Amino acid sequence: MLKEVTNAEFRESVNQGLVLADFFSSTCGPCKMLSYILGDVDKTCGEKVMILKVDFDKNKDLVEEYEVTGYPTLILMRDGKELVRKSGLQQKPVIVGMIEEYMD
Amino acid sequence: MAYYDLVIVGSGPAGMTAAIYAARANLRVLLLDKLAPGGQIVNTNEIQNYTGFGTVNGAELAIKMYEHTQELQVAFDYKTVKEIRVQGDVREVHCVEDDTIYECAVVILSTGTRPRMLHVENESTYAAHGISWCAICDGAACRGKDVVVVGGGNSAVEESLYLADIANSLTVVTMFDLTADPMVCDKLRAMENVTVYPYQDILGFYGDSKIRGIHFKSTQNGEERCVDCDQVFEYIGLTPTTEAFQNLGILNSYGYVETDAWMTTKIPGIFGAGDCISKNLRQVVTACSDGAIAAQGAAHYIQGLK
Repeated sequence: MLKEVTNAEFRESVNQGLVLADFFSSTCGPCKMLSYILGDVDKTCGEKVMILKVDFDKNKDLVEEYEVTGYPTLILMRDGKELVRKSGLQQKPVIVGMIEEYMD
Repeated sequence: MAYYDLVIVGSGPAGMTAAIYAARANLRVLLLDKLAPGGQIVNTNEIQNYTGFGTVNGAELAIKMYEHTQELQVAFDYKTVKEIRVQGDVREVHCVEDDTIYECAVVILSTGTRPRMLHVENESTYAAHGISWCAICDGAACRGKDVVVVGGGNSAVEESLYLADIANSLTVVTMFDLTADPMVCDKLRAMENVTVYPYQDILGFYGDSKIRGIHFKSTQNGEERCVDCDQVFEYIGLTPTTEAFQNLGILNSYGYVETDAWMTTKIPGIFGAGDCISKNLRQVVTACSDGAIAAQGAAHYIQGLK
């Protein structure tokens, strides 16, 4: 499942198993392309992971809390605990591989 | 081993246009890219000179181009090409991932360019962690911060104007003077929070877990200076992504692929297109034109093999 979330929705969802957070900026080209690729990742991974899109401009406190310094930034978490993070545009096989490595 | 009529290496505007033309010519086409469709236009916020679009976001144009290739069922794969070998009429495309090899009749090289780096002290340490090549990606995080831009050409000055509106202070350090269009240079110099240091050699960057500043030296009087900052953006030109093709003997002394007006290299069945070839104007529209011509050339070449 892939969805853009508010701060409150993020906090509600982040503790529910494997979560991939995509910190993006609406002005960032690589973020737009990554978002497109994540749509494809979502089709491939289905229920294995919840993909939460976090808009930088609307969620400054989450950006600070997770020490995000560039966009896009992907953080894979399990029950709220960070497992791995990647900065910049990533290819689909890398993202899928990352998710599959940490699946149950 | 998979066989295609045509393998296109690099899926920027040139590669995707070549794929569209080749698919419409009924060729079996494979489009490869090591990262994602789009190439450099993904990093371009606004393209204002692509015919028929007025102003279009680079990433959105890249997605439209990619979807066009998929409507024509062009095969796409994420692969990094490490070498191309010529075996009679067969061209072998060797990839890094899983040592995959694709065989084909024709290869179109459309790998584009990437930002040139300074290769100075601590640049690799802070690359992507304090040093960026994309203001539209990382500029948003610079609000109220002290920012340095390295470079003085059109890209450097245009991105500086964007960043100066966001940052607390903007320092521009350049090897020569500002060489962008005079009007935008004047506009930048007139901004209150902007300082320009022309004629400087960059010596390196300093910091701890985060970048803290830049160290440079005047080429005119030898004076050294350190400027503290939170973020650096480098815009010192582009370099062709053609290292994998060095064995073919088709590159000029700057690393660009040499082609003729039909996008053919001196090796039959190997074509070039887009920013990675030697030419005067590197734009989305010229890349697309190259791709169309190269695909047409590929179709004629394959017809000649039969």
